[in-house]
Amino acid sequence: MNFSRIFHNLNYVVSAVLFLMGLYTVAVKPNLIKKLMGLNIMETAVFLFIVSTGMVKGGYAPIVEKGVKASEMVNPIPQALILTGIVVAVSTTAVALALCIKIHERFGTLDASKIPGKEEI
Amino acid sequence: MSVSSFPILLTAIPLSFAALCPIWGMWKKEACFPWSVAGVSATAFISWALVSKFSAVGTIGYKVGGWAPPWGIHIRIDFIGMLLAVVISSAGLLILIYSWRYIVHEVEEAKIPYYYTLYLLIFAAMLGFSITGDLFNLFVFMEIFSITSYALVAVSGEGKALRAAFKYLLMGAVSSITVLFSIAFLYSVIGSLNMLDISKRLPNTPYVVVVNTALALFTAAFAVKAAVFPVHMWLPDAHSIAPSPISAILSALVIKMGVLGIFRVVFTIYGHGFPSTSNLWSSLCGFVSWAAAFSIVIGSSMAIIQRELKVMIAYSSVAHIGYILLGICMLAPRGMTGGIFNIVAHAMGKACFFLVAGSLIYKHNMKRIRELRGIGRTMPVTAGAFAIASLSIVGLPPSAGFMAKWYLLWGCFQKGRYVFVAMVLLGSLLSAIYCFRVVYYMFFTGPRLHTQKVDEVPPSMYVPAALLSLGTLVLGIYSTPLISAINKFVGSLPVK
Amino acid sequence: MGREVKSVLPILIVFTPCLSLAGALLWRNKRPRFARFVYVGSSVLTFILILLLYPRAMNGTVSTQTILEIAPRITLGFRIDTLGFYFGLLLSVLWVIASFYSLGYITSRETRYYSFLSLNLSFCLGVAFSANMFTLFIFYELMSLFTYPLIIHDETDIARRAGLKYLVYSITAGAVILAALIMQYFYSGTLAFTGRGTIGAAGVSAGVLKVIFSIYLLGFGVKACIMPLHGWVPDAHPAAPAPASALLSGVILKVGVFGIMRVVYDVFGVDLLKRLGVSLPMLYVASISIIVASIFAITQTDLKRRLAYSSVGQVSYIIFGLFLLSKSGAYGAMLHVAHHAFMKGTLFLCSGIIMHELGTKDVREMDGAGAKIPLTMIAFSIAALGMMGTPVTCGFISKWLLGVGSVEAHRVYFIAVLLISSLLNAVYFLPIVYSAFFKKVTVRELFSHEAPLSMLLPTLICAVLVLILGVFVTVPGLPYSLIKVVMKVIPL
Repeated sequence: MNFSRIFHNLNYVVSAVLFLMGLYTVAVKPNLIKKLMGLNIMETAVFLFIVSTGMVKGGYAPIVEKGVKASEMVNPIPQALILTGIVVAVSTTAVALALCIKIHERFGTLDASKIPGKEEI
Repeated sequence: MSVSSFPILLTAIPLSFAALCPIWGMWKKEACFPWSVAGVSATAFISWALVSKFSAVGTIGYKVGGWAPPWGIHIRIDFIGMLLAVVISSAGLLILIYSWRYIVHEVEEAKIPYYYTLYLLIFAAMLGFSITGDLFNLFVFMEIFSITSYALVAVSGEGKALRAAFKYLLMGAVSSITVLFSIAFLYSVIGSLNMLDISKRLPNTPYVVVVNTALALFTAAFAVKAAVFPVHMWLPDAHSIAPSPISAILSALVIKMGVLGIFRVVFTIYGHGFPSTSNLWSSLCGFVSWAAAFSIVIGSSMAIIQRELKVMIAYSSVAHIGYILLGICMLAPRGMTGGIFNIVAHAMGKACFFLVAGSLIYKHNMKRIRELRGIGRTMPVTAGAFAIASLSIVGLPPSAGFMAKWYLLWGCFQKGRYVFVAMVLLGSLLSAIYCFRVVYYMFFTGPRLHTQKVDEVPPSMYVPAALLSLGTLVLGIYSTPLISAINKFVGSLPVK
Repeated sequence: MGREVKSVLPILIVFTPCLSLAGALLWRNKRPRFARFVYVGSSVLTFILILLLYPRAMNGTVSTQTILEIAPRITLGFRIDTLGFYFGLLLSVLWVIASFYSLGYITSRETRYYSFLSLNLSFCLGVAFSANMFTLFIFYELMSLFTYPLIIHDETDIARRAGLKYLVYSITAGAVILAALIMQYFYSGTLAFTGRGTIGAAGVSAGVLKVIFSIYLLGFGVKACIMPLHGWVPDAHPAAPAPASALLSGVILKVGVFGIMRVVYDVFGVDLLKRLGVSLPMLYVASISIIVASIFAITQTDLKRRLAYSSVGQVSYIIFGLFLLSKSGAYGAMLHVAHHAFMKGTLFLCSGIIMHELGTKDVREMDGAGAKIPLTMIAFSIAALGMMGTPVTCGFISKWLLGVGSVEAHRVYFIAVLLISSLLNAVYFLPIVYSAFFKKVTVRELFSHEAPLSMLLPTLICAVLVLILGVFVTVPGLPYSLIKVVMKVIPL
């Protein structure tokens, strides 16, 4: 096992681990809020991944000035992507939380296993 | 606003109409419906205008803000995008007209402006999804229609609806994040987001593993949106519980977006040159076609055992997504024709089914199949529309569904996949059972009194359903232009 | 020979029966008598229009009309060759008879009944006149579906169950035919009927050809009720109203046979079939079907069930003659299409009168029926004798030709099948005739009387036709002369 390789790509490894953790939480936890948290962890993992791809060693902010080489600029596109991604994630979460509130009002619980099934409602 | 800016208007118009809709709603709730109709019909007009341009010049490109493709957002309307845009805008208009009278029945009055807003949003997002040439744009539009559909499923506020919407949201959000993750994968090694640009750079990339992972994740994620067999669990609940016009939109159009996503990834992005560098591509296609074949059989079988009409129709969608994906992923030219043709055929047939189911709920609050006794006599147009559409869903001649199946089977023979022939035929037998059971209850049971008066839903509800069902017939009898266009398009794809 | 003319007549003929839909929609409530006139009139009009094609059919001219290209290289078109004309003529005659009969017989759900009756005429004609296998399949499927309302017309539980069985059988068969159709198209690239086999020229291996052939036979065999596939027949016939069962047995089974004929003569061609060696197995299947169905018929006590089983056997005669692949065999087979249609038509129409007037359909309760409904029972006896192959009736002619065909094909021992079957036919028909005429009237039937004219007349016409076809065989215009023209094209 080449540890230095893992260490150099730590951000990617962490994002993969976070993604799987999030997926696990979504799939296994019965509490709806926890599921949402898992979802957000997954999103964070992806954002971490994307922002890492834009990294340039010793890079500058992508503002064109005199004396700044283009090759040393940090790629601005991933950051723009993440901004959009965060907006999307927030809106998903907002809709989900609204649903959670409604579910809590309706059933008095947020535990997926205690919400009555299709037939009983 | 010249003709050249039509591509962007296709999604900009409904989007801006959606933004202004709540404002109209504040002033007068009744104004929302004509407002949305204006927006949607303008869009429908533009999409048909683009068809004439498309048939003259082929693929239509449009640079948003004047930025050139690899950097700026590029709108690229190829054949399948054009086809879907036309289907979405035409079916969307009919379903919108249907919802005018229906939605009062199911949604509180205060929420009606929001209903139309969401409707316009989902409409705009689907159009954007079909015509964009940019991968990230694809993701954003996908998120818009996904989030909108979560909300629309829950719009009635009933317990069942909330539960179904949450289930839908969880699976949908996970698949969306996966799509974003795969986009990140691709971007990290290719450095581009323009689909054409990526497809040009893909064959030369040294990072085959990363690219392969992205392909697999993409396919899995879009498969969830398309509701193929192992990941279809969210569909029956969500589609059956949503208000009927929304069910129609979801089943006829939104799941097609998942199919389009798979198509974009597998063919538009990975199709050119990449298959020769990696054998994952073809084995993935093989895997998806098996999943699709199982969808056909399992979706149809599940539809048979349902007691509620809308759940049955929803399961039938799982089966039909199977037909479409089987055709697309079998990699046989004629099978591809059948799959793409079935997108149109199924959109019309399934939209008609859900509209009819909605009419029955509207008029008699009938949800169970057994309750439909004698509907054929009291609601002849509605029931007749269902009967005609069921020909197409089953795939009997002369209907659009039959032509789709014809080409699909032809594709199976081209590839020598006799197992798929058997599964497709079995699926159509099973679908005959579930469709004709409903037709049977509608027409051949129930009281037979001459005093029974015809008691139809308002024309704004039965006319869209009837038009959609007639559409399946017309397309079944005269499909030459569409099929030769599809054939021409399939000729440009890497399927042999 | 082989001249082709373009003509609008095919389209006109196929869509004329749909006129009755107008009757149903416009006048059913306000002027029911006029609506009824439209229903029957549309079938008469169809008959007249078909007669217009007679001169062309007699000199072998083919009328063609392409309607439209459904999909690239797949056309919806009509092509009336003499075989198609023969079927069309037969269909329309029987339909006219059944429509008139229905006027007296059908008292409930008239609109639905007549609409579907006429639509079915339309679709059957479409099958008979189709220019290619695709068109044939479309009309065949439509016909299969639209027969359902006729079968469950009474909406009793028995009828529903029979209808369900019928639907399951015919939709499955439809899927099977579709598989064969697409295989044919995939391997040979054409579906057109030319009067010769087309699939042989494609250079397909014999194994594949045999597979395609068997799938076709499996599919069409359901409608043509070849023995293991006959399951729906004995249920559907008794359940349907009498005129509908007359049509089912007389025509709709024959449409399945017609499909097989097209497969034999236009898809494969006689020469290819001889080379493939499928004729002998098919002869065995048909023989078993003939004999087993006759034995089953004996065990039935329900008159219409007995007739239904008899149909299974008789239609297998046609299949038998077809696969003799000899000249007289083909003559016999094609003649038997018309002959059986009229004989079985008569029998079913009589059974309708018997049920209507005597209130029974049990064959053991026919004692003395001849005294009460003499004309009906005479018609019944004529047709029953025809079934046995008695000379002077038309049944004799076809059986004779089938026998000659067996000799021509050097398969003399199959004559035994024909003889045994005649004997079995006698066993299940003669007791009915005997008890009707020579037994005492039972009390139950004392107050019954002869049927109304609208039912009696069509029945009698049908019975007279049985005799005419048996005596004036070679008169021009009757089946034999038409088949002579058909046979000029077929290389036998």
